[in-house]
Amino acid sequence: MAYVATKGGEKAIQESEKLYHQLKKPVTPEFVQEIMDTMPYLVDRVMGEGSLYAPELAALALAQSGGDLYEAVLLLRAYRSTQPRLAYAKPITVDDMLTLRRISAAFKDIPGGQVLGPSLDYSHRILDLNILDGIAASEDDEDTQVEAAEKPAATRYPLVADWLRQQGMIAAIDVPEEIDAADIPDVTRDPVMMPAPRAHRLQALARADTGGVLALGYASMRGYGFIHPTVNELRLAYADVQVKHPVTGEPFSAGRVRVSQAEVVTKGKSTYKIGFTATMGWNEVKLIAGATLDMEMSQADPHPALNEDFVLYHTEPIESSGFCIHFKLPHYVTFSSGMDNMRKVINVLYGAAAAGKDADDREVEAEESKTSEVVTKDTM
Amino acid sequence: MPQTRSRADALSVLTKAPAPIVKALADSLLDELGDIRVLKNQTGLVMLPYTDSAQGTTFHLGEILVAEAHIEAQGQEGYGMVVGRDVVQAMALAVIDLALALGHQTATIIQLVDEQQQQQAADDDHLLKMVESTRVEMETF
Repeated sequence: MAYVATKGGEKAIQESEKLYHQLKKPVTPEFVQEIMDTMPYLVDRVMGEGSLYAPELAALALAQSGGDLYEAVLLLRAYRSTQPRLAYAKPITVDDMLTLRRISAAFKDIPGGQVLGPSLDYSHRILDLNILDGIAASEDDEDTQVEAAEKPAATRYPLVADWLRQQGMIAAIDVPEEIDAADIPDVTRDPVMMPAPRAHRLQALARADTGGVLALGYASMRGYGFIHPTVNELRLAYADVQVKHPVTGEPFSAGRVRVSQAEVVTKGKSTYKIGFTATMGWNEVKLIAGATLDMEMSQADPHPALNEDFVLYHTEPIESSGFCIHFKLPHYVTFSSGMDNMRKVINVLYGAAAAGKDADDREVEAEESKTSEVVTKDTM
Repeated sequence: MPQTRSRADALSVLTKAPAPIVKALADSLLDELGDIRVLKNQTGLVMLPYTDSAQGTTFHLGEILVAEAHIEAQGQEGYGMVVGRDVVQAMALAVIDLALALGHQTATIIQLVDEQQQQQAADDDHLLKMVESTRVEMETF
């Protein structure tokens, strides 16, 4: 396909953008702060897909784009591309996290126990219309305040996967070798070749479109795949970003970020298989669907829509949304070329007189013409 | 008062302290430090690697927006980096780091770091007590 630049419409384009802004309220710093404070899960989703942890900028992107998620992710990715990479942090493991939520659907009793943490899992899905009527419960209301326990929860929990490994229920893994972070395969700098290194696969899932990952993961869950997922462990946590002091060489924390991860298991022949996904921010749907897809992609002969190539290419939010919406932009020359070819075909098949007639009428006339020829021949 | 904290240790606490408090401390140190040469003061990215607990693969989770400052005075260097895009906060951290390196106002700095660490520990403790209240004992029938 050839692309031809168009020009013109500059004034209309400028006015169109102004109209977009005029039909909604202006964005203010207070509104951006409000988004950060009241919609952390939305901000997390944009940061995860934007592959940039910057809550303030993600909230700004959401406000600036009027809540269009793909546009917000694009804004964040575009900003990211203007920034230099200054350093690599120390790799995060579960031992480095401050875990706030840790649950398992596979076992009710796991070492360290289960804490629900912040969750609406068991809430009634009923709109609180009192909020609209201005009679919402006050923040100071005792009923809305958490009744804190006397002792704090643990900061760290052992992995349920390690517990299963000790029982021989999932395959043992080698102790990970120390790797220079700069040598880790990076989808933002390397071409993605199939089969992808596992580091590419997991990075691509971490920044994938939540809706795309869910759609394909759900296809697997409904029966197009070969596995039945069970959440072995799901965690929401804070993690310190540990960087090296350039003068003393000592590691220090540049601050905390929200991270989340999930392991999903399914029955194998004599042991369980395990899938994994992690992302920046807290996004449970993406984790469970992503970990399911991780297992599907590892099958010898997965369903065509669940193989690695298909999943990784079709869940890239900017590539996919960008390709989709580019179809509304001017394609005048290519479309005109197609029209010319179509006219030539009509001319050859139906004759010049058929041009301009309704396509159905043309087909009917052509059929009638054939029938009359047959009738004429038969009666001769 | 002898220095009881490493520079990295102090930075780890101050990066999570309220920015106005860090900036106010840095302001109070500037006079003693004399002319400061700014080597870097910018925003940028830190790539965050993550370890896959299923197969042990280390991969890149994504990048973190940070602000950093690297300064020099009296033959010593100071450095600060903080999550976010507040380059003034990063500069304040670098000033405090430089003061620790030079031994200026060490007691004042350590006192503030201690206070902030206690506050952060108390905040974490309260958070984890709330988390503990969500501990669930599932029963099967």
